[in-house]
Amino acid sequence: MFLLLLKESILFAWQALVSNKLRTFLSLLGITIGIFAIITVFTVVDSLERNIRSSVQSLGEDVVFIMKWPWTFGPDYPWWKYMSRPVPEFNEVSEIMQRTKSIEAIGFKVSSRKIVKHRNNIIENANLSGWSYGFDKVKSFDLSDGRYFTESEANNGYHVCLIGDAIVQALFPYNEYPIGKTIKIAGKNCKVIGIFKKEGESMLGSSMDNQVVIPYHFARLFIDVRSENSEPLIAVKAKNGIINEQLKDELTGIMRSVRGLKPMADDNFALNETNLLSKNFDSLFDIVGIAGAIIGGFSILVGGFGIANIMFVSVRERTNLIGIQKSLGAKNYFILTQFLFEAVFLSLIGGIIGLLLIYLLTLVLGGVIDMEITLTRSNIILGLTVSVLIGVISGFIPAYGASQLDPVEAIRTN
Amino acid sequence: MAIVKRPKSISAICVIAIILVLLAFPMLFTPSIKRMGDFIPMILGIIITLQFVSLIGIWHMKRWGVQLFVIMFFTRMITFMFLELYTFQFYFNIFYSIIFLVFFFIHYKEMDSNL
Repeated sequence: MFLLLLKESILFAWQALVSNKLRTFLSLLGITIGIFAIITVFTVVDSLERNIRSSVQSLGEDVVFIMKWPWTFGPDYPWWKYMSRPVPEFNEVSEIMQRTKSIEAIGFKVSSRKIVKHRNNIIENANLSGWSYGFDKVKSFDLSDGRYFTESEANNGYHVCLIGDAIVQALFPYNEYPIGKTIKIAGKNCKVIGIFKKEGESMLGSSMDNQVVIPYHFARLFIDVRSENSEPLIAVKAKNGIINEQLKDELTGIMRSVRGLKPMADDNFALNETNLLSKNFDSLFDIVGIAGAIIGGFSILVGGFGIANIMFVSVRERTNLIGIQKSLGAKNYFILTQFLFEAVFLSLIGGIIGLLLIYLLTLVLGGVIDMEITLTRSNIILGLTVSVLIGVISGFIPAYGASQLDPVEAIRTN
Repeated sequence: MAIVKRPKSISAICVIAIILVLLAFPMLFTPSIKRMGDFIPMILGIIITLQFVSLIGIWHMKRWGVQLFVIMFFTRMITFMFLELYTFQFYFNIFYSIIFLVFFFIHYKEMDSNL
């Protein structure tokens, strides 16, 4: 019985929508734009967040970075204190290794930008990193071909390198096999021994695609490793079962003793973790999300007013019909359901069109920018839920008004 | 059908309550709510919608409106407690809902028991 009533209500609502196509289209446009606005904001924010999170994870969640500058930002950032700090040095790596009990791997890294050349193919300002032997154990990456440095190559500063996919495309444009070929880095010959697997664009600029990685002892021939410009850092990974807080406590003690700091003196180094970066981005995305929620929420409410308006017109037009239905025995709840369904249908169709437009937009954006933008399940559920609820909110008042009409007066209405 | 005249206090409360309910709607899209799960915005959205429906019932001086308002008041409180959402909104909602309920129950006998 209930299903029959439901089917009849849906059919009535469908007929009403189909018979006024232009009006239906115009009234659902408000909801379409509202859903499009809010879910687009969430889709873009979610995609950016996902991309940044994967970039942060590639830096290593269980890795602590010893650096000059801390990864905390805000209005009370005492930069003048950090300015005078010394940069981490390569010899501190062995000092730490001698004194620690909780470290599984440790590596040193310097970075710079240099000219990289192969025959007539030149890359100006290529991202160049000098890694110590252990750095491959603290930084996660995959090789599509070749191998990492051997200990001997790293410690003796052999002229060997690993290059990213974008570097391969630029230096070897005619599908040459790069492994074993010699390229010039800052005027020095260097043999390619490995190629990083393509990673795609990274929001933090940490993608291996644009990197040229050489042994640290080779890099120091043409990079000033004591300069802040070379961004020197020591990356430390804890043993299994040791949490980052324990590792940081131990590293603080070791670094203070290595640098000979007095008991009352402040630390002259920063211990950074990737979750510090995540926290900074979380608060940024929360602000964008809240702004999107307020703007989108109210735009959907405005779309709902459009539907409510059209439902009032619809009830007015069909007052006579409502009277006949009621005089033939239609119950109040049947009339209520009929108009409520019409409003929900209208709103739901608007929402679905909005979601389809967003899906098309993600396909277009996916082809234009080198970042994965996807319409997630949670955003689809949110879009559909909001459409249905707005339909109920905007349709309930006119539908309830229609259900309360007196049949005799309703039939008399012209 | 008996037509019950709506007291001015109920009219005023309904207008204020409907505005408060509609203002709560954008809350569904906030990142903190979204992060709780895919279906949490849906649950909170249904609660907000039913609160709105209950207020329309009260506007028309229907007893089912007050009954639905009471049910949704407790449902909302339990849901907020279950989600550990002890925010300003939680306490503010208790405060104004209790005041509204006092007025609704004062006029409950004057209300229509039909749908």
